[in-house]
Amino acid sequence: MSAADSEYGHLTPLLSEYSGIAAEDPRRERLRDQLVTGFLPIAQHIARRFAHRGEPLDDLVQVATVGLINAVDRFSPDKGSDFFSFAVPTISGEVRRHFRDQGWSMRVPRRLKDMHVSINSAVSELSQQLGRAPKPTEIAERLDVPVADVLEGLEASEAYRSSSLDEMLSSEQGSATVGELVGEADAELDRVDYRQALRPVLAELAERERTIVMLRFFGNMTQTQIAEQVGISQMHVSRLLTQTLGRLRSRLDPDTRTG
Amino acid sequence: MSAVEPTGTPGGGGSVVEVRTSATAALIPTIRAVASDLAARADFDLDAISDLRMAVDEACATLVDVASPGSALQCSFTVHGNVIEVEARVDTAGPESTVSTDTFGWRVLQTLADEVELRTDGGRSVGILLNKRADPTPR
Repeated sequence: MSAADSEYGHLTPLLSEYSGIAAEDPRRERLRDQLVTGFLPIAQHIARRFAHRGEPLDDLVQVATVGLINAVDRFSPDKGSDFFSFAVPTISGEVRRHFRDQGWSMRVPRRLKDMHVSINSAVSELSQQLGRAPKPTEIAERLDVPVADVLEGLEASEAYRSSSLDEMLSSEQGSATVGELVGEADAELDRVDYRQALRPVLAELAERERTIVMLRFFGNMTQTQIAEQVGISQMHVSRLLTQTLGRLRSRLDPDTRTG
Repeated sequence: MSAVEPTGTPGGGGSVVEVRTSATAALIPTIRAVASDLAARADFDLDAISDLRMAVDEACATLVDVASPGSALQCSFTVHGNVIEVEARVDTAGPESTVSTDTFGWRVLQTLADEVELRTDGGRSVGILLNKRADPTPR
């Protein structure tokens, strides 16, 4: 905390002043602005820790800032604790609540949502270590919970709202490499003689959905490999592939399927 | 959807789950949930669970399209240790209702499953048989 103390040291007297100020005091608003602006890097830092879990970073920063404002409003220096040990859990709590409340398309018990968040981070760690997708037993061992809990959590993750690919991939990381890989997949697509006009239908997809479909079905890559390449989670790749296949099915359908 | 009823396998070995629904797209999510649940409980890795789920989705969607009106979609899942075998079948109105294998949908099935086979029955029914192994088999 000492490094943080020096970085934010100038704000400490303002905190005491703010906590003692009367609600109708005209200086209150300005002090509050100063404090929130001054401590904003903390909120941004916490928001980034929750990035890549299916919610856009901008939203997370906004939610974390609400948490920071609450922390500034509720903090009282005379209770003995310093601002950081009060603010960090308050802000993280706000972000977690956002995930619980906003991210789910269907009502799922809170316990399972927390499990989903733990599973997600265990999956990305284990995938890196193992070089493949982990099994439920491996996830359970990592989290030190019963396999039954992991199975329940995986089931609940099907209810997680699939956010748009664009917001997830806005960082565009590694897009050059993805381009090269799709080049190879393209050649593979050419070798397959289909009665249906697949290429124009694929072309209608958003570029990244098309990339994921191409890498999976013409580029011989597993979901975990694609996840790593594209910079999103395996679970997200899975959701996107399912959605995209459904869309392709409805576009390709009538004359090609029966017949 | 009728009850999920475990029965014995003729070939012996493996536990069987059969799901029978009306042949309508609206019930496919129920069937694919059974598929992913079985794979997760058999400790398939997450890629394999998801692949099986999508393969079942694709197979059922393909079959529902050719099913005769008002008929049923019958899915049986057999778990043999680290392999899950799925057979999905619908009744068809005649030999002209069949599934073609030179489509993107078939390519999807071939990529997602380890083995996939079309089984027709003289125009009375069409089935898709697929196998998925627990271990990663990048293709």
